[in-house]
Amino acid sequence: MTATSVSLDIARDLRSICGPANVAERPVGGIYVCPNSAEEVAAALAFANQHHLTVAPAGGSTERTAAELRTDIVLHTGRLTEIEHYDHGDLTVGVGAGITIAQLGQMVDADRLMFAGDPPVPERCTVGGLLATAAHGPMRHGYGGVRDYCIGVRFVTGDARRAKGGGRVVKNVAGYDLMKLLIGSYGTLAVITSASFKLFPAPRQTKTFLAEFATAKDALQFRDRILRSPLSPICLELVSPGARKLMRPEMTDDAWVICVRAAGSDAVLARYRQELGSAITRELEADAEQRMWRAIQNFGCSEEALAANDACAPDLVCLSVWPRDVQDVIDTLLKQSALTGADVSLIGRVGGGLLLVRVAGKEPGAAGIQKLMIALERVFGDKIVLKLRGAVNPWPTPPTNLASMRAIKQALDPNNTLRGREIF
Amino acid sequence: MPSSTVLAQLRKIVGSEALLDRPEDLMLYEYDAGVRKCTPAAVVFPRNTDHVAKIMELAASTGFPIVARGAGTGLSGGAIAPEGGVVIAFARMNRILEVDAANMRAVVQPGVVNQQLSENVAHLGLYFAPDPSSQKACTIGGNVAENSGGPHTLAYGVTVNHVTGLTVVMPSGEVVHFGGKTAESNGYDLTGFLVGSEGTVGIVTEITVRLLRRPERVATLLGIFETIDHGAKTVSAITAAGITPAALEMLDGWTLRAVEAACHAGYPLDAGAVLLIELEGLAEQVEEQAEAVRVVCLEQKAREVRRAKDENERALLWKGRKNAFAALGRLAPSYYSQDGVVPRTKIPAVLQFIESVSQKYGLRIGNIFHAGDGNLHPLILFDPRDPHQLEMVQAAGAEILERCVEMGGSITGEHGVGLEKRNLMPLLFTNDDLDVMLSLRNAFNAAGVLNPGKLFPTTRTCREVSGPSTNPVLQAEGM
Repeated sequence: MTATSVSLDIARDLRSICGPANVAERPVGGIYVCPNSAEEVAAALAFANQHHLTVAPAGGSTERTAAELRTDIVLHTGRLTEIEHYDHGDLTVGVGAGITIAQLGQMVDADRLMFAGDPPVPERCTVGGLLATAAHGPMRHGYGGVRDYCIGVRFVTGDARRAKGGGRVVKNVAGYDLMKLLIGSYGTLAVITSASFKLFPAPRQTKTFLAEFATAKDALQFRDRILRSPLSPICLELVSPGARKLMRPEMTDDAWVICVRAAGSDAVLARYRQELGSAITRELEADAEQRMWRAIQNFGCSEEALAANDACAPDLVCLSVWPRDVQDVIDTLLKQSALTGADVSLIGRVGGGLLLVRVAGKEPGAAGIQKLMIALERVFGDKIVLKLRGAVNPWPTPPTNLASMRAIKQALDPNNTLRGREIF
Repeated sequence: MPSSTVLAQLRKIVGSEALLDRPEDLMLYEYDAGVRKCTPAAVVFPRNTDHVAKIMELAASTGFPIVARGAGTGLSGGAIAPEGGVVIAFARMNRILEVDAANMRAVVQPGVVNQQLSENVAHLGLYFAPDPSSQKACTIGGNVAENSGGPHTLAYGVTVNHVTGLTVVMPSGEVVHFGGKTAESNGYDLTGFLVGSEGTVGIVTEITVRLLRRPERVATLLGIFETIDHGAKTVSAITAAGITPAALEMLDGWTLRAVEAACHAGYPLDAGAVLLIELEGLAEQVEEQAEAVRVVCLEQKAREVRRAKDENERALLWKGRKNAFAALGRLAPSYYSQDGVVPRTKIPAVLQFIESVSQKYGLRIGNIFHAGDGNLHPLILFDPRDPHQLEMVQAAGAEILERCVEMGGSITGEHGVGLEKRNLMPLLFTNDDLDVMLSLRNAFNAAGVLNPGKLFPTTRTCREVSGPSTNPVLQAEGM
């Protein structure tokens, strides 16, 4: 059944599941449904399976706007906002998938705790969206990815089975690690309804040290020095000249900047200053520091998109490369952009080889990105993982283990109901 | 059970010197560090991925069970063969294939011993963080299968947090690659899914692990308490002070006396409990945290807080901790180790409960555990020659785990479910939860060839495709 052929009867039936106020017809065709509980999610999915309808889960729509979703049903998680548990003494929390990252952060901040996920647009990005996309921000360097601190997940499979993996404690190896399977699966296997996380003590004080360099090579040598040192900053970010201009248009010089965010006492921060040495050109703290990291977190999101609640930087290319290859990857990107006239800007958690690349200029959008990807794959082969932030298929290079992925998809969503992204 | 023809084919694959089938040889492979015994039909020692793939193809076509085995140090019966069949022992696939310091990665075969990897990269200032107490013997393949932990996983996470890529032989015999050296994977995170799947989805033949840089300074403190309750309350007080130690271990008074007698680690003989607290990182930070921890311990009625003066003292304190299980072996012919987890604020209550279980069954139970993440290891001492004692020990263990789950915890923090705890899985998981897990297992291992009888309960409704066990020992136990 196509989106446009979804009948009024179906809307009526979904209203009986989720309540009349929580079902609407979409201007682009299809039905929009906003369940209030895991039971309602399961009922809606059972209904979709029964009637051979396709479903796309949606949270804050920060990667893809809801209007882009072309399924029969868009299942919005916005009403799944229950706090299942908050055990601040144990540094754990469990919340509904529809809670936003900002809401979660505010809740635990009162107890001087911190949720380590810092994806773009935290005011709109939901817990479910963070898990489904495995999005990351600058704190990925110091605290790991969401796979490292998600300790439990509740979900409804594509074929409408309610289930869970993990639990509420920080250490737990009972059963298969379903958190790992669902994190980054883009809602193609199950709809996440709630999740539990490990929290961290909030740093009492932070400071950010900036070091500017004429070339990416110099900046990455500085990165290597930091990685070999005893320092363990919570963020270690590279900002290209183009990215810097995007974030701060008044900056007109062509510097590559390494941003080091440290947490600790005055003595610890003094040690950072000593170790980083004369390379430091600026130190930021308080509001200025917060503003800079927020700009890095929202890299590529235009003010207009943020104001209009549109998708944030849907054309961003997310690269995961071997840390020692970052330099070569950047060289390849710059060479290619010089050839095609594309304007490439990038930031990245370069300690772990993660880069976010924006393509603009003469050939922006899909064509420009396509050329860059081909160039990168030619040089780096399987040493690089490419992800397209807002694309229908986030993995442009077919994974070598596609058959295993298909087997998993078949096990959890045999009717291919969950179609927010088209991977297969 | 493999026929003589199949055994001949196996010999052809691995060489006749790499297959054991004489009863006296097989006895070495009928147990792990748990309490059950099951004899395999044969043990094979492959040397490479191709050998494993061929063994797997043979198993798939003739239908004999396969159980992968590292060093056999596991505590959940994961590496024994309750359905008979062939044990694939990885003792000869024990090479470190690559150390890539620039990318902080190493690629190893599954038979590499955990500690050997850290020793091998020490000259580069690097190490492999997961450190099970058995790290001198246990293999990284076993760590991957069980998603093993250790004391320092409090700060650094368990095995899954340190594995970025796997080469896996699937039950069909197909060789697949999941992940690699990159931080993220192309497609679903199948590496994360495979780790901890207890050998029921595929057989791992190469592992890419993350290496960490050794910290500049390490401070090891020993908090000495008059009562176990004071020690237990200190655990969450340290966390509440915003400090995450690299390790935070607890030994009760009875256990530490047994350990001291065996290891001479320097533990006080008259204490009610001790906390072994390790802080790592930048020198300034470690010194501040060490002082903060000392203050918290004293506020929580510690009698004394000692700090290891040098590497020797530190090593001695850890020797006591890591050899504790063996030390308790001096007091009874055997012990049964549990692996329950509770939220760390519930540690005082659960320790009181364990004491009541000890009294109820008249069994001696020692407590030595990863207190920082609430991962308990009650050690129940018993004599396995007395069948009645074994029954009581298992009942006592189950009661403790049930209480852990009631308190919001889990039945296993790092040892895995295996054979030991499979029938406790319904305490944590609903039938639907288990159905989803089973459908994932069956997506790859529908015939139940890989590690049958593990992880999934048999006491609910015989949902496991391979059906209830045919092993007489397990049948006698009602499994």
